Amino acid sequence: MMTEPEQPVSYEDATARLEAIIRRLDSGEAGLRETLELCKEGRALVELCAAELEAVGQGLEELRLDDLVARLEAGAGA
Amino acid sequence: MRETAGMADRAALPAGIHGSRLPGPFGVGMYAAKLRAYLRERSRVQLFGEVWNLRVGRVKVYFELRDADGALPCSMWRTDFDALRLGTGALADGLQVVVGGGLDYYAGSRTSSPAFSFAVSGLRVAGEGDLLAQLDRLRKALDAEGLLVPQKRLERRALPRTIGVITGEGGKARHDVLAGLARRGWAGRIVWAFAPVQDRHAAPRITAALQDLAATGHVDVIIVARGGGSLADLFCFCDETLCRTVALLGVPVIASVGHHTDRTLIDDVAALSCSTPTHAAESAVPVHCTQARAELAQVTRRLRVHGQRMPLARPGLVATARRLSVHSRRALLQRAQTLSRLSRAPGEHVARERARLHQSLREMRASGRRRAGDERARSARRALVLDRKAQAVALDAHRASGLQALALALAAHDPDRTLERGYALVTDSSGEPVTTAGAARDAHAVRLRFADAAVDATICGDDDRA
Repeated sequence: MMTEPEQPVSYEDATARLEAIIRRLDSGEAGLRETLELCKEGRALVELCAAELEAVGQGLEELRLDDLVARLEAGAGA
Repeated sequence: MRETAGMADRAALPAGIHGSRLPGPFGVGMYAAKLRAYLRERSRVQLFGEVWNLRVGRVKVYFELRDADGALPCSMWRTDFDALRLGTGALADGLQVVVGGGLDYYAGSRTSSPAFSFAVSGLRVAGEGDLLAQLDRLRKALDAEGLLVPQKRLERRALPRTIGVITGEGGKARHDVLAGLARRGWAGRIVWAFAPVQDRHAAPRITAALQDLAATGHVDVIIVARGGGSLADLFCFCDETLCRTVALLGVPVIASVGHHTDRTLIDDVAALSCSTPTHAAESAVPVHCTQARAELAQVTRRLRVHGQRMPLARPGLVATARRLSVHSRRALLQRAQTLSRLSRAPGEHVARERARLHQSLREMRASGRRRAGDERARSARRALVLDRKAQAVALDAHRASGLQALALALAAHDPDRTLERGYALVTDSSGEPVTTAGAARDAHAVRLRFADAAVDATICGDDDRA
């Protein structure tokens, strides 16, 4: 029985879990069911990491502290 | 003074300020010269204070003498400074010194700036200054309270989305931070909190900026950057309130105040201390984003391969297929290597043989030259020996023929040869030859020696004179 992986919350946790998944899959020791689950989990992690990278790849946004504070106070979110 | 100014250029002399009762206007150079003379007449004294902003130039040494109540710019001729023989590093920012000298003023000119200073002619290092001692005490106090640790325990995101940066608005550090982030391929959100990074206004403004950035709740990491300077310039980063704020902040702070030799207190309390703003930016984003995107694409491909393969085949078959694939790749690679080696073999063989033949030819030539030389030397030696032998033989022959002639001549004179012809040799009792009749009479008894034997004879009777 495979153990339930902890839900990764940060980019570094996600990448660490992805590396573990790839190592397991490459070992060829995972059964069919486990492989399917690992692939599913891996795809979710890839999406998470891609979203994180996407967030810092859209183009540099420069704000002054006052602008950020004003935006937050206006309730527009960050 | 008025007359001199007038003489200088009366036509160019401007009119004074309308309504002013002050004397003048005077030429500024003349006034500066008078001021210099006035200052130089003041009493020469000894002062004590702390050295700050020390700069050792080729001609002069400059520093500021400071204490809690004020400061004075000082200058000292480099020759006088070197004559003190203080040694490298013996005079440094923060040290307490006693200086002797007097006021001076460099009047400047149309192309150079004026400068006021206390001209130091003598100096004594009196020990560590109060400011450095105070700094040391504060560092120990913060350490004792455990405030050097909390920032280092904070988790720093590998891929922050928002980075807060506190720096001077017009400083070079701003560009360095941007360059460092660009190098990481990071293009998220930067929140600039500009603040003075020098003088007494700096510490409170930086403290406020830190608190405001953290309070937004949207900043993942904060960089405090400055482009460097002397410890005196960076003293605001040793402010106690600022350092306590950093230590207790919930957001990681990366300090980069650009000083290599002396650490400021913010370096100690921050999560990380970097030597340059560029380095600080790179440390704020440990992940190289461009590289990470490429790696992620690769992971996606591998997952796809695994996902597509598995539903169609049993695990054992997949492993077997993978092994087969690996084996076939390996076999193919080995074949390719063998073929490549074989294709190279004839050429390599010819090249090896050619090299070997060339080598043999070189060795043979060298050997031939060496042998011919040896033979020549040997022949020469033999010729010399033969020549000497021939000379010796000729000499021997010459000597032999001479000896033979002598032997023949000697034999010709041998009395035995005469005796063989029938003559006899007469000798007296002592063996001396008796060659006359008188001698024979006198001898009376003689011996007659013939070729075969000798007989004794007695002389008697008269002479038979011829």
